[in-house]
Amino acid sequence: MAADAPVPAETAQTATTHSAPRRLVLDILNDWVTTVDHKKIGLMYIGYALVFLVVAGIQALLMRIQLSLPNNDFVSPQAFNSLFTMHGTTMVFFVGMPILFGFGNYLVPLMIGARDMAFPRLNAFSFWISAFGGILLYFSYFGASGLYGAGSAPDVGWFAYAPLTARVFSPGHSTDYWTLAILLSGIGSIGTALNIVATTICMRCPGMKLSRMPLLVWLYLVTSSLVFVAVSPLTAAQIMLMLDRYIGSHFFDTQAGGSAVLWMHFFWIFGHPEVYILILPAFAFANEIIPVFSRKAIFGYAAMVAASVGIGFISLSVWAHHMFTVGLGAGANTFFVLATMIISVPTGIKLFNWLATLWGGKIHFTASMMFAIGFLFQFLIAGLTGVMLSIAPFDWQLGNSYFVVAHFHYVLVGGILFMIFSAFYYWFPKMSGKMLSEKLGKWHFWIFLIGFHLTFDFMHVPGMLGMPRRIYTYEADRGWMIWNMIISSGAIFQAAGTLLFVYNMIWSYFKGPVAGPDPWDAWTLEWSTPSPPPAYNFAEIPSVASRRPLWDLKHPEDPDSNYE
Amino acid sequence: MSEAAVIPNVTTPEWELPSRGVVGMVCLIVAEAAIFTIFVVAYLYYVGKDRSGPTPREVLDLPIFTSVCLLSSSLTVHFAVAALHQARRGLCSLWLAATVLLGGIFLGGTAHEWYKLIVHDGLTIQTNLFGTTFYSLVGLHASHVIIGLIMLSLALIFSLNGSMTAKHTGRLEVLSLYWHFVDAVWVVVFTVVYILGR
Amino acid sequence: MHTDPDHLDPNVIQLPRPTAWPMILALGVSLILAGMVTSVAVAILGLGLCLASIIGWFRQVLPHEAHEPVPLEDAAIAPTSARTLLPQTKEPAAPHRVETFQLATGIRGGLAGGLAMIVPATIFSLLKFHSLWYATNLLAAGGFVSWGGASDAFLCQFHLQGLLAAIFIHGLTALLVGLLYGAVLPMFPRYPILSAGVIAPLLLTGILHSVLNVLSPLLNQRIDWFWFILSQIAFGLVCGYVVNLQTRLRSAEFQALPFAVRAGLHGNHGPNSIDKKDSSR
Ligand SMILES: [Cu+2]
Repeated sequence: MAADAPVPAETAQTATTHSAPRRLVLDILNDWVTTVDHKKIGLMYIGYALVFLVVAGIQALLMRIQLSLPNNDFVSPQAFNSLFTMHGTTMVFFVGMPILFGFGNYLVPLMIGARDMAFPRLNAFSFWISAFGGILLYFSYFGASGLYGAGSAPDVGWFAYAPLTARVFSPGHSTDYWTLAILLSGIGSIGTALNIVATTICMRCPGMKLSRMPLLVWLYLVTSSLVFVAVSPLTAAQIMLMLDRYIGSHFFDTQAGGSAVLWMHFFWIFGHPEVYILILPAFAFANEIIPVFSRKAIFGYAAMVAASVGIGFISLSVWAHHMFTVGLGAGANTFFVLATMIISVPTGIKLFNWLATLWGGKIHFTASMMFAIGFLFQFLIAGLTGVMLSIAPFDWQLGNSYFVVAHFHYVLVGGILFMIFSAFYYWFPKMSGKMLSEKLGKWHFWIFLIGFHLTFDFMHVPGMLGMPRRIYTYEADRGWMIWNMIISSGAIFQAAGTLLFVYNMIWSYFKGPVAGPDPWDAWTLEWSTPSPPPAYNFAEIPSVASRRPLWDLKHPEDPDSNYE
Repeated sequence: MSEAAVIPNVTTPEWELPSRGVVGMVCLIVAEAAIFTIFVVAYLYYVGKDRSGPTPREVLDLPIFTSVCLLSSSLTVHFAVAALHQARRGLCSLWLAATVLLGGIFLGGTAHEWYKLIVHDGLTIQTNLFGTTFYSLVGLHASHVIIGLIMLSLALIFSLNGSMTAKHTGRLEVLSLYWHFVDAVWVVVFTVVYILGR
Repeated sequence: MHTDPDHLDPNVIQLPRPTAWPMILALGVSLILAGMVTSVAVAILGLGLCLASIIGWFRQVLPHEAHEPVPLEDAAIAPTSARTLLPQTKEPAAPHRVETFQLATGIRGGLAGGLAMIVPATIFSLLKFHSLWYATNLLAAGGFVSWGGASDAFLCQFHLQGLLAAIFIHGLTALLVGLLYGAVLPMFPRYPILSAGVIAPLLLTGILHSVLNVLSPLLNQRIDWFWFILSQIAFGLVCGYVVNLQTRLRSAEFQALPFAVRAGLHGNHGPNSIDKKDSSR
């Protein structure tokens, strides 16, 4: 193909607006609003999730200020209730899901050598409907003037147990905002998941057999399949709740014979797999980043795939470990204890495979790799406290205490957020064309690490001392004060680290060194495109012969394809 | 031009992947099946737990005729796809029309049943747990039938005005998949509500 | 709308045409739902947007999907590695891969061991309780929680469901442990009898002994740990024997390899190789 062939003037004008020096703001806006390009949609997902990350982070800070001292009244009890509700809902539905879908959107087509997703328009629709869901949720703070219950944010907790959500106990519209926002985000999640599955199955480039797909793509396939069977039940439960609240049906109306426990089942049938929907993409990032910075191929590719699929299946049968305190009976308790413990087997396999990948490798301690190694250790600890909590009698003692809060924040922050930071340092050069500052990145890592451990290591202690979660304040003589003080001080470090990260992104975007197509000397297809990639990704659809197509290209004397 | 990641001398004999329409529809069906499962579980969980009537045994009749209509519409839509595949557009229109008609009869049957339940038996969604779960489960299915009927009617219109050709067989097949799913759900709903639940 | 000549132009690539309809449909759906918490007017506006955007979207994909041509930019990229390449050999070195285990080996070993384990378990039942079925039912009690507290007489009788449950539990665990043996044994090739027959069963029993007390104290009281270890050793010996029969890993060459290689942690070449020549970073 001749590179310097003249481009027809007409098409050049309509399509190469990229290269125009200055454009009107409206033009740029139009570009982003109407786009069906998976990369732009991915970036919008990520940007929107980052905004909500800051919002929900501020909510967390407010809660920590309130709890840092006994008998504090920094915020009102009502405001505190909506703070923890909004913090949880936002972090799960409007930070975790979108940021992971954003990376998936951006990376999956690039990694399998495709030019776009299978359904580009559906992709745009899914993004926008999740985005509007988030806006609707926060609109609840303002309400609409002249309406009953105007300006009331949801305050029923992120799992909104019945019968607290019934009209009688939650008048006004605050709970409706919560339900509707989650319904919208659920539609978006199912749409994107469908798109990712169809893309990985139908859009792979020649030679990209399932057994050659990058592990990231495999994990996104498992995550997306989980979305169908996990998010749909939540959608169904939200429809039931809407019917209860608007038409007067009795699904969760305990006075008419409805069951509050049924809501718990329905919610956790969603809620537990949701944790895996969030953590599997984090695993996915680790699967790409750890080998590249160890300069070794991933250890145990097949075992990794099998373990991921296994986690997907097992995670569907463990939900009631969130309900041990309900009193399910000996049979159900035993089943869910065992099922929960078994899930640590495939997870353990993954950890060992990562360690084996590191073993003997030539490890490059970039900021990205440091976050990934932090993830390995913290995820191990999170898993261990998870096994502790999976034992029913232990859970009876510590269920609904700060020990549980510490455990799942260890998973969500120590595991997922660390891996998301790692992914940013790794793929930001591809997305923006500029390198993030390594120096600032390492400062970010150490400050955030200190903050994380100050907060969440010590958070286990007040839990064991009996401090319940969602408590508004406490008396001075409980012995919890010193611990809460430490926890809150850690939050300041984490906020500082995050600010540094945001500054790093903005500074690097404008002033950072140019990345070039392949700054990490990596092996997957996205690094064979310019940074940022053109709208069509690949000028020529690639064909691959092994799991590391770029290794083959760089080392024609010893390609991987010889060993397949 | 760029030879990015193109490995020379690699022959990929035939590289065929499944149709994205079919895969997408299968995914949608899995997600929808999960939603229906939750409603079915709620129905079974609450069946017989009512403190006041009416009970299913008192008011529900077996909708055998309309069920047969709905199930046989699965056959007719299959024939429509087959006819379009052979580029026999007139026949395709005929089978599509039959499908829409059979689906319409089913919907009419449901409307009639609901009318009887609400007006004669005084059972609404607010009456008791049976009403709550019955109307939501059957209503959820009926709403899927309505969506399917709208799509099938559009296909019928396109078929009649000649803008649907054998090239579009794939798309009609995806639609027929959805319709088969709607029918399959009815088998489950029928078994649960009208046989087990009674 | 649909321009065919572009398909033939080698300097442009056809991409889906940008469209605002998906966004407007999303807005419409959101407004309909928002109408439930604000006012009907919002919902009506949403419905209007929905209808308009459904039609608009429809015309984007039917009868043909709308495309727009995007010109190719001149950006030839040749991925290179910063590391010095391996010296070019004339032909790729014959892959002398370390033999690893095969799934079938583990499965066969597990099944054989599982069968062997039945012998001491049955002897134990006959000696201690004069019943063929006691051990079977005790195992089934792992599945039926209420059986854990049942009387000895009950457990001595024949129960079909007990037999089925026991076969299921026993078969599954035997299979899984067999697979584990198949994977792990080749890593310890020096003393196969010691590792397979004694150490592994003792370790497994130790884990079970400590866990069972927490999981089901009732069941724990009933288990005769002496006989339990005996059956474990029977399993270990037979399973280990079968696995070792299948994998010929006793060669002196293999034994000489370091543990990390035997465990597959790293080979000397191929996908798991380390870039030894990595010099630049
Ligand atoms: Cu869980």
